[in-house]
Amino acid sequence: MSPTIAIKGLRKEFRLSHTGSIKTALLWWKKRKIERLEVLRGIDLEVLPGECVAVIGRNGAGKSTMLSLLARVYKPTSGSVEVKGRIAPLLELGAGFHPDLTGIENIFFNGIILGLTRQEIRTRMDRIIAFSELERHIDSPVRTYSSGMLARLGFSVAMHVDAEVLLIDEVLAVGDFEFEQKCFAKIDHFKTDGGTILFVSHEMPDVRRVATRCVWLNKGVIRAEGDPEEIIPLYEGGDRAPGVTP
Amino acid sequence: MFAELKELWRFRELLFSMVQRDLKIRYKNSFLGFLWSLLNPLITVLTMTVVFKVIMGNKMPNLGAYIFAAYLPYMFFQLCLLDSSQTILLNIQLIKKIYFPREILPLASAISNFIHFLLGLLVLFLFLLVVYIGFPGPNGVRIWPFHSSIVVLPVLLFMSFCLATGFSFLISAANTFYEDVKYIVAVILYLMFFICPIMYFSEQVYYCDANKANPWLYRLYYLNPIATLCNAYRRSILAPQPVPLKGITYPAIGMDWKYVAIAFVVSVGVLLIGYHVFNRLKWRFVERP
Repeated sequence: MSPTIAIKGLRKEFRLSHTGSIKTALLWWKKRKIERLEVLRGIDLEVLPGECVAVIGRNGAGKSTMLSLLARVYKPTSGSVEVKGRIAPLLELGAGFHPDLTGIENIFFNGIILGLTRQEIRTRMDRIIAFSELERHIDSPVRTYSSGMLARLGFSVAMHVDAEVLLIDEVLAVGDFEFEQKCFAKIDHFKTDGGTILFVSHEMPDVRRVATRCVWLNKGVIRAEGDPEEIIPLYEGGDRAPGVTP
Repeated sequence: MFAELKELWRFRELLFSMVQRDLKIRYKNSFLGFLWSLLNPLITVLTMTVVFKVIMGNKMPNLGAYIFAAYLPYMFFQLCLLDSSQTILLNIQLIKKIYFPREILPLASAISNFIHFLLGLLVLFLFLLVVYIGFPGPNGVRIWPFHSSIVVLPVLLFMSFCLATGFSFLISAANTFYEDVKYIVAVILYLMFFICPIMYFSEQVYYCDANKANPWLYRLYYLNPIATLCNAYRRSILAPQPVPLKGITYPAIGMDWKYVAIAFVVSVGVLLIGYHVFNRLKWRFVERP
């Protein structure tokens, strides 16, 4: 089986210059050396259809950057990222929602950004609204929504675009218990249908619950990967955990 | 560039709904809604006409229509360029989270401003009809406002769109990195208003003493594509009239095709350069320090 996600030698570097006004750009003789921050330092990863890979690691390890690179928000400094099929990124709640538009208008807009046509959204509209349980609020502007409601709407749209790949960055934490259960059921369903999921989480019970594989990212490189039951204890053991070669 | 255009075509539905969203949001919470975009030029033109007719004593018949015809294309540039400076920054949270061709943002802003512009032209035509029917000129002579040169209007619209969109690409990209750009653009646009034939006539530039002494002034003046376009709109929609200046009435000057041709080349060039520069920079928007 050919992998849905293929990451080869992926590196990502950010410039930490503090410019922002033309003045600093014009004062060329005062130019300081541009600081560079290497967030990802060579990642190789392949994810097969039907896999659900959890990415764990400390803050600043490069987890979100990796997801953003997969979502084509950034361009890699070097290396390559290949994703087959449509991607539904859930990198932040309510990204792509406009506060002044109603729920329905935002579903249209978000669906189109994710690659659906108007007609396709129209046929899915009822299912999206039903899943989000927002029937009463769907005609109100999104600015009146709570963060939980935004999470439900965003997740609901992303789950109904028939994506092959789902990228989730810690966005499930805001929903209530019941909705979370519903999401996990939907994710399980998505997996059995052959969809690929890559998600970032700090909630180890969630990782154990849905992940088929676990990747521990540390300081921009993969420290260890494998079965969640093996990796999580290593990660929780910290840097001094025995049997880990950095 | 072709790969980028192909990608843009793939996302045409998004562009379409961005324009729709833009038009919807702009006036969503205001009582008069869409009328604001039409009321604004009407009031401005009315004020200018009263000032020039009553205070400055300009005797030109139907002066309001002449100001209107040149002010509308200028207003389109102004709004388009000012709006474009903010498009990337306002949507930075969106482009940090979801991929789509970034050029859709300034393009959508330019298109929605262009739609306002077209509606403004519609209001101008209504205005001309009202003047023709309701307010006959001196001695009861009515001047039929439309004449055959209006056929070049689509070409002028195309040029305006290219020029404004090209500048939108450049300004939106530059303003993402240096926010001074929008202030500079605002100042330039404010000054540009005075060096375009809007409140006065092209003939006044041509027959002024300075141009008689140095004939290059008129040429230099019309190398500015915005000045050429403002003048071309006025001449394609309205019949040229003799211009009274310091007691002498000077004959009207027809459309100066040479400068229109130069402006055409400049407009298309600005669009191509703008799009190219934008594509070079667009991946760095999200990594803005």
